[in-house]
Amino acid sequence: MSHGHEHHGGAGHHDHGPRVLPASLAAPEEAIKAWRMRLLVVGGVATVVSLAFLLVAGGPGHILRAYLMGFMVTFGFAGGGLAMLMLQYVSGGKWGLLLRRPLEAMTRTLKLVALMVIPVLFFMKHLYQWAAFPNAQATLEAYKDGLMTQEQMLTANAKHAMLSPTSAIVQTVIVFGILLTMAFFLNRWSLQRDADPNAGSQASFDYWRIKFENLSGIGIFIYVVLLTDAAILWIKSLDVTWYSSIYGLQFLVGQGYQVLALGILTVILLSRFQPLKTLLRVTEQHDLGKFAFAFVMLNIYLCFAEFLIIWSGNVPDEIPWYLARIQGGWWVICSLDFISHWLIPFTLLLSRDLKRNKQKMILLTCWMIFARCLDMFWLIEPNFRDAAGNLHLSGNLGILAYITVPVAVLSIWGAYYLTELMKRPLMNVNDPHLEEMLEPEHAH
Amino acid sequence: MPRREGTYGLLAEFNTPGELVHATEEARRAGYRRMECYTPYPVEEAAEALEFHKNRVPLVCLLGGLLGVTTAFLMETWIAVWAYPLNIAGRPLFSWPAFIIPAYEWTILFAGLSAGFGMIALNGLPQLYHPVFNAPNFRNGATTDKFFLCLEAADPKFSSVDTRAFLEQFHAVSVVEVDH
Repeated sequence: MSHGHEHHGGAGHHDHGPRVLPASLAAPEEAIKAWRMRLLVVGGVATVVSLAFLLVAGGPGHILRAYLMGFMVTFGFAGGGLAMLMLQYVSGGKWGLLLRRPLEAMTRTLKLVALMVIPVLFFMKHLYQWAAFPNAQATLEAYKDGLMTQEQMLTANAKHAMLSPTSAIVQTVIVFGILLTMAFFLNRWSLQRDADPNAGSQASFDYWRIKFENLSGIGIFIYVVLLTDAAILWIKSLDVTWYSSIYGLQFLVGQGYQVLALGILTVILLSRFQPLKTLLRVTEQHDLGKFAFAFVMLNIYLCFAEFLIIWSGNVPDEIPWYLARIQGGWWVICSLDFISHWLIPFTLLLSRDLKRNKQKMILLTCWMIFARCLDMFWLIEPNFRDAAGNLHLSGNLGILAYITVPVAVLSIWGAYYLTELMKRPLMNVNDPHLEEMLEPEHAH
Repeated sequence: MPRREGTYGLLAEFNTPGELVHATEEARRAGYRRMECYTPYPVEEAAEALEFHKNRVPLVCLLGGLLGVTTAFLMETWIAVWAYPLNIAGRPLFSWPAFIIPAYEWTILFAGLSAGFGMIALNGLPQLYHPVFNAPNFRNGATTDKFFLCLEAADPKFSSVDTRAFLEQFHAVSVVEVDH
């Protein structure tokens, strides 16, 4: 791939020559502060509007559910960012070096996300049946009062070891404890790597590569296990009777989808300023676009495979989950989810020109993040009895909280992400890929 | 097809890929379009200078994919609904979720095959004869250490006098007229 360009250097070849590493790799603080201010304003307005839903009938419940949705999307960025960070350490590649600092910034937001889970735990009895009726005595009474079906009562009792208030708190603490520890070391080593006195030598490259690989390899496995547990605990258990063995992987792929979208968005926006103006080549942007395309495909593959298996089995235990999400107006959301989540990104990302176009990729990645939120809405809201198979707005204005609350949560999280992003130089310099990124571009 | 005779084009020989790329870029800027670079190994800048990536293979691939998905889906619908209607677990005859996977496979198959064969067809392959081999210096040079740019006579801008003068300004080792 590097054939021949060493012969160049004559007049008219200025675009083929090697580029120079910018003197300062610091993040463009003024621009980021301006973006952060915008996010804070949006977040503030959305919070105020959200509070108005407290006065609407059914409003508080919907605010809580919408908050859970916002929390889960931000967890997707923080936790998924950690998984992607470890993935690029084990896979290597210039795309990974390019995204490394944005991904690190996402993992450093885990502290905030860990705090954000507290309201969910505090109000859990308003969200989860197993928390509202935490023991066999309570479920039996709920069954007698018609608040639970017999199946829900029996399943809640059977799953009590995992799904009970104490157990939920313990699991949440373990999940965040381990994730925060891994994020801590990955972030610390990354700075030490740049400060290494032997920086730039093969010995230093190998030392750090192996050190990161040793944590990341096992770390990815641990993350998948923890995410499966967390996704079941926080989202899937909203319907206590629902089983799906693919749930954790679905969230994993969904997180890869949103993390790549945000990562691409971040580097493209930052490329308006130095140092990424020099460092973001069309080649890497194109590669990241292809990678995002793979996640778009994998995501629909898992979602559709789950649907097809359950549709084929046609078992009364399983199909109500889909019926609640298809019937009574949910067909509209379900179709919109399919169109936004898969059809639009898939058809657009087929185009080579679009993947290489900055402006269009900005719009598309924003759209993909929106699609993740829409999908989360479709996953969460139909779990509740008042909404299952019955999507309605009249007498149910509180459902609009699903628009304002996630906007508030995501904006405030985004402001914190930008704060973390500013703290470090935008490029990890002690990495052999950096030199390759400064090489002239080739068409692929 | 009319009988091909006369000049195929003018073939300029260069010693370095840099000179070749420069000449190609200038030729494009000057308005030439029917041209080709011949190098002993892939030179990506030359491909870029020729705007090699703007071709019809993606379109052929897309059309192949669309043809695949339509064919498979309609075929399955025809089989399940009209040709061999079977009651499978009481489901409707038109059970589209079950059709998706074969339709998807056919999309991939047709798209892949059309991309492969489309590429070969658009390249004009198989081609048993090519006029540039008539140039005495081509046969050896193009596979070892020489870089060639051929401006073809089929280009409306081609003129045996002006094009030769244009190519000679790049200090080519030689500019040879190639016959069909």
